[in-house]
Amino acid sequence: MPSSPEQQMPAGNGPRAFTQGYKTWNRKLHFYLGLYFLFFIWLFALTGLLLNHSWAFTEFWPNRKVATVERQIKAPADGTALDEARDVMRQLGIAGEIQWLTTQPGDSGRLEFRATKPGLQFDIKADLKLGRATVQRTEVNAWGVMRALHTFTGVRMNDAKNQRDWMLTTIWALSMDAVALGLAVLVISGLIMWWGLAGKRALGLVALGCGILVCGWFVVGLRWIGV
Amino acid sequence: MRQSFYVFVRGLHLYVGLFLSPFVLVFAISVIFLVHSWVPGSGAPAASRNATNLSIPSDFERLKGREQVAAAHALLDQIPVRGEIGFVRQFPKERRFVIPVSVPGSETVVELNVESRSAKISSRTTGVADAMVFLHKMPGPHNVNVRGNSAFMTVWRWLADATVYLLLFLSMSGIYLWVVLKNERRVGIVMLAAGALSFGGLVYALVA
Repeated sequence: MPSSPEQQMPAGNGPRAFTQGYKTWNRKLHFYLGLYFLFFIWLFALTGLLLNHSWAFTEFWPNRKVATVERQIKAPADGTALDEARDVMRQLGIAGEIQWLTTQPGDSGRLEFRATKPGLQFDIKADLKLGRATVQRTEVNAWGVMRALHTFTGVRMNDAKNQRDWMLTTIWALSMDAVALGLAVLVISGLIMWWGLAGKRALGLVALGCGILVCGWFVVGLRWIGV
Repeated sequence: MRQSFYVFVRGLHLYVGLFLSPFVLVFAISVIFLVHSWVPGSGAPAASRNATNLSIPSDFERLKGREQVAAAHALLDQIPVRGEIGFVRQFPKERRFVIPVSVPGSETVVELNVESRSAKISSRTTGVADAMVFLHKMPGPHNVNVRGNSAFMTVWRWLADATVYLLLFLSMSGIYLWVVLKNERRVGIVMLAAGALSFGGLVYALVA
């Protein structure tokens, strides 16, 4: 089915042609952004469902595989606790986001931290003086991987101790930002397209108004009425 | 027939999209806050007050899980504090409980003393941004046995699910509306393939 005449690229110059061109590109943007982000949107939508429901078939923690090994390591060069942890991980062949659990930086001689990536978790206890590291590797199934992808940002609210320190976490976090901005643009471009359809404004206002009322009730209304 | 189906799907895509757009914006904006671990305007100081002569059920200290939360709700009605109870933390030796109660945009912590039948209530407004973050994370995977203990959270759980299902419908109907437009297919396929490659590549790099 071809595009309708009013949706095709305009010829000529002037404000009317500009408006028409703007509408056409707005519509294309809506299509193209939606298609580009399709798989990201599906992932975050479906994993959002998984997080909100404890369906038995999506269980992953009871089915985890745990293995512990002990390895020799060389004492890392002097540096921050993060530098030392990275050095130990490099020696052990482990990649991932570092999560500080109990180690107090500056506690020379011992280094305890967790390295994570979606589906894998390494709990590392290194004795730098003895040159020995115990690594507990925990692997979860595909459901666990999917859930982790939804929340894998490398940071947590009210936890200044942990900052993003793995390049792939940063890229993934940026892709989450991009999906969020993409969704916002999809909404705005959709609103512009709808407003251009004079015959659908009234019913559209009802649908949009209902959405704003219901959503607004939760975002600001509940606090106002003091539920 | 095909034309009328196209028109029907296009209309449904439009109206469902319009209804859903505020929800999508709430989830999208809160992603930015969550990813950067930053919530603007959530640092308001807490206001405190005390309540005395509370009627506390005799078996309150022995209750667990849902039953304990239900009893806590009845108790909090006396203060009155309403909202979603996050958890009930018990300090048996001190005969004391700490109960955080939330509604989107505000947070109340009730410190209940069973011995003196009194409570210290600290409330603070956390703001619209925090309300969006709260809603984004709720009901969530934690404290499953007590989560959804307020009426609004029960409704929000349903709405969060509906957002997912309607978003899936919008994406499927969007694909149909795109496929029908022959002159948009080539660029559309390029964008779809680029998106699939970016997505697949990123997930592979993270997981492999």
